[in-house]
Amino acid sequence: MPVERAAGGTSLIDVLDRVLDKGIVIDAWVRVSLVGIDLITVEARVVVASIDTYLKYSEAVGQSVPVARPALESRPYDELAAENQALRAELSAAGATRRKAARQPVARRRSGL
Amino acid sequence: MAKKSPAKKAAPATKTAVKRAASSKRTSTKVVTAKKARDRVAVRKTTPEEIHAAADSGRGKYVYCVIQSADSRKFGAAGIGDNGSEIHTIHYRDLAAVVSDVPLGILDSTRENVLAHERVNEIVMRDHTVIPMSFGTIFKTRDDIVQLLRSAYDAFGDVLTKMRDKMEFGLKVLWDRDSVVKDIEDEDEGIHRLKNEIASQKGSTYFARMQYGRAIDAALQLRSERYGSEILDRLRDVAVASRINKPIGDKMIMNAAFLVSRDQETAFDTRVKSIASEHDKLTFKYTGPWPPYNFVNIRLKLERV
Repeated sequence: MPVERAAGGTSLIDVLDRVLDKGIVIDAWVRVSLVGIDLITVEARVVVASIDTYLKYSEAVGQSVPVARPALESRPYDELAAENQALRAELSAAGATRRKAARQPVARRRSGL
Repeated sequence: MAKKSPAKKAAPATKTAVKRAASSKRTSTKVVTAKKARDRVAVRKTTPEEIHAAADSGRGKYVYCVIQSADSRKFGAAGIGDNGSEIHTIHYRDLAAVVSDVPLGILDSTRENVLAHERVNEIVMRDHTVIPMSFGTIFKTRDDIVQLLRSAYDAFGDVLTKMRDKMEFGLKVLWDRDSVVKDIEDEDEGIHRLKNEIASQKGSTYFARMQYGRAIDAALQLRSERYGSEILDRLRDVAVASRINKPIGDKMIMNAAFLVSRDQETAFDTRVKSIASEHDKLTFKYTGPWPPYNFVNIRLKLERV
């Protein structure tokens, strides 16, 4: 799709995306004008890592989840299947020996399967 | 400073120290940062001197950006506030902070304020390299700003040198997820078969559906990665650096910022446009030039000695 460049200040979202926590950020300025001598500690980092950045491209793209997905589907299939099985077995076991089972800790019943 | 109105309450006085803007109106995670900073400032003990100083002058100086300039400059009445306060500079050696007068207090990150911050940066950017200040930083006095420039002099100088004649551009890429899913269903044989299976199967389709969902998900991920690396690859030789931010929402597959040399601006522009015209399934949001927000990260903290 053809695209035209829009000036920076035209989109509030784009502006907010930048101005709120990027650039020079002063975390807490506790300067008292008249008393004592204050010292600013500087932690400056300039990100002009052209080559590095490009090397990290694939990585960075991979890290970002491009689509939202239901939590259920994002869980590994095996894990879900195993849990399912365990729950079913537990159910039937509980039904059979309800009185006995009631006193046993859940963890032990599960590990015994 | 003369002592005035000692009855002034401590609470408003705390707010006269420099603030990060805080607004409860937005739900972005960034607000959390701002809020944290606000809290930190708010909980500290206010000294009597501060209360008096605050009572003394109701005006502070809002800082927009730092530039290199030994001479005093004016940038018009475009500042934050109702009347568009006069934009001027405060100097330390060859560095200058671009500021305007504002009332002391918390500056809400309203649409007007945030856009005014950006507008001033864009005006200054026309003939200066800027280090943008993040929104909402107000200093009580001119001396405080000189102190800031003095203390961070080397860092600012270094950053200004590195950013000279470079501009930032934003590029967001979005797709229509549903139509991509459709394409995948048509093109991927395995997925196509699964879909038919689900449609024709009687009884529980739970496992088939789950398998289908996983396959679609993986295919989407793969495609978005391919798009991402292709686009970045093609912009590599016309940009100095790039930064990948987290996509916003589930339609966005890429949220990137590029640092571009002034002499490559046209080349970059042409390249972006040609990439965009080749991808009819993608929507491109291309913005700039911006101050180099995404490529400057200076965190300042104050320590009392």
